[in-house]
Amino acid sequence: MPSFDNAEDRPEHITNILNGLDRYNPETTSIFQDYVSQQCEYGTYDCYANLALLKLYQFNPHLARDETITNILVKSLTVFPSTDFSLCCHLLPPSLLTTTPASSTGDLHEAVQKLTTLNTQLESCQFKDFWNTLDSDDLYADLIADVSGFEDTIRKRIAVVTNSSIREITREMLEGWLNLSDDEFDTFVKDTAGFSIEGNTVIVPLNKDNEARPTITRESVKFDQFSRVIRRAYEQPA
Amino acid sequence: MLARQAQYQNGTNEDDDFDDDGMLAASIVEAIQNEDDDPSQTLHSLHSREDDLQSRLQAAATPLEYQASLEARYASYDNYCSLFHFILNSNGPVELDLPTYYWAWDVIDEFIYQFNNFCAYRNRLAKKGQNHDEIASLKDNQQIWGCYSVLNRSQMNEQLAAIKRGEDPNTVAGEYGSRPLYRMLGYFSIIGLLRVHCLLGDFTLALKTLDDIELNKKAVFARVMGAHFTTYYYVGFCYMMMGRYSDAIKAFSHILLYVARTKNFHNKSAQFDSISKTMDQMYALLAICVALCPTRLDDTIHSSLREKYADQFQKLQRGGPESLPVFEELFQASAPKFISPIPPDFDNPANNVDPMQHHLQVFLSGVKNNMMAPVLRSYLKLYTSMDLHKLAAFLEVDAEDLRTKLLVFKQRSRQCKWSEGGLLSGEAVNASDLDFALNNDLIHISEARVGRKLVDWYLRNLTRSYA
Repeated sequence: MPSFDNAEDRPEHITNILNGLDRYNPETTSIFQDYVSQQCEYGTYDCYANLALLKLYQFNPHLARDETITNILVKSLTVFPSTDFSLCCHLLPPSLLTTTPASSTGDLHEAVQKLTTLNTQLESCQFKDFWNTLDSDDLYADLIADVSGFEDTIRKRIAVVTNSSIREITREMLEGWLNLSDDEFDTFVKDTAGFSIEGNTVIVPLNKDNEARPTITRESVKFDQFSRVIRRAYEQPA
Repeated sequence: MLARQAQYQNGTNEDDDFDDDGMLAASIVEAIQNEDDDPSQTLHSLHSREDDLQSRLQAAATPLEYQASLEARYASYDNYCSLFHFILNSNGPVELDLPTYYWAWDVIDEFIYQFNNFCAYRNRLAKKGQNHDEIASLKDNQQIWGCYSVLNRSQMNEQLAAIKRGEDPNTVAGEYGSRPLYRMLGYFSIIGLLRVHCLLGDFTLALKTLDDIELNKKAVFARVMGAHFTTYYYVGFCYMMMGRYSDAIKAFSHILLYVARTKNFHNKSAQFDSISKTMDQMYALLAICVALCPTRLDDTIHSSLREKYADQFQKLQRGGPESLPVFEELFQASAPKFISPIPPDFDNPANNVDPMQHHLQVFLSGVKNNMMAPVLRSYLKLYTSMDLHKLAAFLEVDAEDLRTKLLVFKQRSRQCKWSEGGLLSGEAVNASDLDFALNNDLIHISEARVGRKLVDWYLRNLTRSYA
């Protein structure tokens, strides 16, 4: 069963820190930072450990590294529609999220604001706008540069959303959602997402989620419920 | 409160046994004093001279008034430090019988309350920007009531709890584990940790700390009403902040139902006032959760919810932009008093954002996304299939806009739901009774219904015919 505090590829030394008193030890900051860069590089993801790092930053603001903070936020975008991004936001210094920038935190403030915009667009499923925003400013390119395969991961997540709500969709629309066209689109849709293309329509195979079958929950009757009736039948033979 | 103090006194009357320990404690207090350059030193040394263990035990569980001065707050912090230090760092376990179960809970409760209160006080000062003496003194004493030391205190207790866990239940209890003092303190400090983490905004870690505690009516904490109640409040709140509304609803309704049923036993106890206040808060949170994730509630709870928050609940359920201020209002009234983990920036008051506002904004950004949901729901419930453009015309929105709204609706109705194991684990399930799929521009809608319940009816009539 999936559990939030587990991550498949978590190395043992990280597990030890997370479970021990060392998770409050400012000296572990650098270990967690390395772990974040490792996640960015190899495309793994460990929200629970990242939250622990943000917490260390929370207590020791002087240790905080802007780059790591933005990397964590970018990573948490790659698992939308889960709430990881907002869980991270709860642990950020409040001044980063207000609309009027505080003087001392200019750059980071702007970066966080921009990432929040991206998150809002993803969460409201405005995928086309998301890609447009991403292309609109060089700063975005800088922000996602460290996270390898960012765009592909997002595409996969969009495919998951599609998979769960859609049976058929026009090619044109899905192209917009995925920001792909022509051969690239064909390959992604067929090989990665597992959809099929017929003419101008993309067909999503039926699955548990897009089937939308009416269900009726019936009551489950347990023998125990009848125990009194049956006992009674023995006690007072009719 | 007086009555409870008397309890402690009556509960422990072996003063003779304590002489040695009392002296030990006093010397520790002195040691701490020498380390800390503390403005309240004079006050403190006065204390330690006449102080014996008993009075300190009582002091620890006695609430500090809201208006207390800064010195009193420092002093009380030192008091806790020395007490915890004494209990945990003495050679071998301290020979001490717990006055009551309540005592351990009260100590932890009060400790965290004072911590919370201190942070709020600190923020208020920074905002007002007056009273420079106190600010200066706060600047010099950032260690006091620092988050680190608070967490460490609680953490130490957690280590003890680990010892306890290893040898539970009682059979092979070790040196520490067999003492009720350590067992209860350890137990309640875990719940304390849940609170502190939640107040700091780390909701996942908060739930994680409860991994080793079983949540049910027979759990140890159920014996102390306040603890039982607080635990569920915070668990429910953490779930809500994680977007796991169905789990939050479960936690809230469980405890509200429990209180509703046992009300007659509790309404005479001293804790009842604070409990009924928290109960109102939980109803408000429950209203938020149900609005975000429509669920059938237990009848008792549903009717009291409508009794308390009729207007607000209706507005929430109607959705749309008008519901946003109501979400805000209820959240502010019923969320725990969040604290900021670091001392405020005394030099730039503009940089200090109220932590409550911070968490509120993050929470609302999630709510805003799905504000259309109740309206969509009410329409979708009427059809089994429908054209996207037709629905868009009904709602007077753009068809593409509607399509994204539908996608959001679908994503939001799939939630992580707990079934077994640690509180953080769970599986993604469809939490809504409404499901749909898009076939190009055609929306196929299906509804999950609950079949008629016949067994109850049958059994009831059967008993009647027997009689």
